[in-house]
Amino acid sequence: MDPITHLHNNVRAYYGTRDPGPAAQLIFRDKNLGHSHQYTILDSDHQLTVVHPDPNDRGSRGGYQSKVKVMDKYRVVGFISSGTYGRVYKAHGRQGQPGDFAIKKFKPDKEGEQIQYTGISQSAIREMALCSELRHDNVIRLIEIILEDKCIFMVFEYAEHDLLQIIHHHTQQPRHSIPPSTVKSIMFQLLNGCQYLHSNWVLHRDLKPANIMVTSSGHVKIGDLGLARLFYKPLHSLFSGDKVVVTIWYRAPELLLGSRHYTPAIDLWAVGCIFAELLSLRPIFKGEEAKMDKKTVPFQRNQMQKIVEIMGMPTKERWPLLTSMPEYSNLSTLTPMMLPGHPHHPHHHHHHKSSAAASTSHLEKWYYGTIGGHASTSSPASNGSLTSLGAEGYRLLAGLLEYDPEKRLTAEKALHHPFFGGSGSGMGAGASTEQISRNCFEGLKTAYPTRRVSQDDNDIRTSSLPGTKRSGLPDDSLVGRPVKRLKDA
Amino acid sequence: MAANFWESTQRRNWQFSKDELAQMREKLEESEQSLVQMFPLPQRRHLSIYFNQQLNRLGKRLGVRQQALATAQIYLKRFYCKVEIRRTNPYLVIATALYLACKMEECPQHIRLVVSEARSLWPDSLTLDISRLGECEFFMISEMHSQLIVHQPYRTLTSLQSDFFLSQDESNLAVSIVNDHYMTDLPLLYPPHIIALTAILLALVLRPNSPGGTATTMAAATAAALAQAQAQVTSRTNNGSNNGQNVPGASDKDRQQEARVTKVQRYAAFLTESAIDIEEMVDCTQELISFYECHEQYNDKITREQINRFVKARGLDKP
Repeated sequence: MDPITHLHNNVRAYYGTRDPGPAAQLIFRDKNLGHSHQYTILDSDHQLTVVHPDPNDRGSRGGYQSKVKVMDKYRVVGFISSGTYGRVYKAHGRQGQPGDFAIKKFKPDKEGEQIQYTGISQSAIREMALCSELRHDNVIRLIEIILEDKCIFMVFEYAEHDLLQIIHHHTQQPRHSIPPSTVKSIMFQLLNGCQYLHSNWVLHRDLKPANIMVTSSGHVKIGDLGLARLFYKPLHSLFSGDKVVVTIWYRAPELLLGSRHYTPAIDLWAVGCIFAELLSLRPIFKGEEAKMDKKTVPFQRNQMQKIVEIMGMPTKERWPLLTSMPEYSNLSTLTPMMLPGHPHHPHHHHHHKSSAAASTSHLEKWYYGTIGGHASTSSPASNGSLTSLGAEGYRLLAGLLEYDPEKRLTAEKALHHPFFGGSGSGMGAGASTEQISRNCFEGLKTAYPTRRVSQDDNDIRTSSLPGTKRSGLPDDSLVGRPVKRLKDA
Repeated sequence: MAANFWESTQRRNWQFSKDELAQMREKLEESEQSLVQMFPLPQRRHLSIYFNQQLNRLGKRLGVRQQALATAQIYLKRFYCKVEIRRTNPYLVIATALYLACKMEECPQHIRLVVSEARSLWPDSLTLDISRLGECEFFMISEMHSQLIVHQPYRTLTSLQSDFFLSQDESNLAVSIVNDHYMTDLPLLYPPHIIALTAILLALVLRPNSPGGTATTMAAATAAALAQAQAQVTSRTNNGSNNGQNVPGASDKDRQQEARVTKVQRYAAFLTESAIDIEEMVDCTQELISFYECHEQYNDKITREQINRFVKARGLDKP
């Protein structure tokens, strides 16, 4: 369609239409599946109010109508997941578009029986704007955004896997570690995506295995930019906008200690946690989240405790700004050593242990314990074993899990780490003997199971499950007060 | 990309040539011939002045920062490239642009507050509720294809002011020139750094200490400066040297004047060494001068009446 016709149609769509529009509820049947599953894109209780414009008043609005209909263009084949934002569906193109798609539908705020325009949440605005702008091999690609029937549909390229699912697969009997070449490729691609985001002044703020997608061809794609935002000279401090960022297990110590001004380093801490999880198949710092009080953000004692147990107590020698952290005083209430069985015992441990011992990091022990080798006996092992990751693997991990955000590796530096062959040019560059593949599945004999796509009608209709921890910002949504019904003209 | 202007959606999709822009607008008016004939409107820059004033009034009530106001201006411009003005209630569009820009610039305003302030600001021209603003937001985002990240000249201005040793007065003047450029087509024509550099040039060759600042006095001063600025630019392109032969006021004994001359020389040297498109800067300068002249003929009353006339006649003020 040429732009003018396009424009024309649109103007007509917005103002001129008398068409009451499609059925109030978008239900469609997937004939191709051969059974009669119904997929409801709008929740059953989200009836649309159709506004009939007064025929005598041409200037009156017929209501906003999208010129692209999501159902005309895509055929939903199943439900993938839900979160606080809404739901994600798997879809095929109806107009010959190649490949599969993931359609993220933002849930509109419910207002009684009908849905109303209430203003789009800030996190949706951020995600829409950033995804429209960003283009990188290691960042999930947005196809288009359709604003239709008071809902936002973000159409993404489909990724068959995600790191959570891959990690989970390896925990299945017999438990077997992720091949080192896969770990390397994943880490390199993840850091590459991170580096792109950071060089574009984008903080992701919610990196975790579930948000790292992997395509069937082994390309790693950073997904879910729902918490991401630009950090170039913000008008307000980042803290003032979102009190709580990053899912608790991946949250950097400076955030746990209440830092007001955080940096891309928070994403690198999360990358460090993900690296550790790829090695051990379980979250390295699996703390319990303290519930948010009415307004104050509590000190996440248990989470900090988990970190301290492996990393040792942070000291102002290693982290000069430590003492100026708002929650600094809470640190002394933590138990510094690894105490199996009593992980969170919040009383003081002045006796016996010197502060030097308390601050000793056990990360190296953790690392070699996990990869099944020893620092002292780091003989080159077979390629199939994690021991082949060797001492450089430990150094990279330690560089990412560095307490002081200023000393922590940046994405750029991490990409140049000797772990990846030292050349830094990485992927396909001849400098390293052991090349890092763009396909993290390269050389693997077995395929990972495909993403579970639910075709259960009930699943689609149930209200959204708790998902990602979202921002504490009220997001302009209406709280409490019902809106007046949209009057018929 | 969010940081790289050259790969941004702004560069790729929202920067036009003058011809392209004229054609788009012509087609838009052609598609609505009867409306256009029935409801004459003042020239576009006068409309822009009026919209800018209204936006600033709303922004002031809400305590919105200039950066968000600037982004809202860009949204207005982009939107009206795609939609004929007479088909919309401009007050609704202004309120929506500001509401959206505040979210994008990370200084969000509650929708209910925007609605209530807009209502009390334009009681006769707009019946507004949350759902109407929310609906217009969908319309606006859709027209802009969700391309909401805007690169503003302020960033270049801030990063260059120390390089050029701008005084506070000069900086302020440059900022106010950038503020004014939103009332022209320049944001749709040139990259933000060209705008910023032009603003700096004008701030340097103008006299920041003279009773300037207002559009009226600036118009005259800028017109005088234009010749100098162009000579300056031309001399750089021609010989690439840095002898400052055409620097205005070089004979002036005044120390301040000398300091400014040095700054202009430094600036000229920067221009010659950089790959800045000087043609664009010249055109940018002319557009600004012409805008300040056109500002003199601006009639607030007529503009307001003409806008309100189609809003009322077409029932666009009603829900």
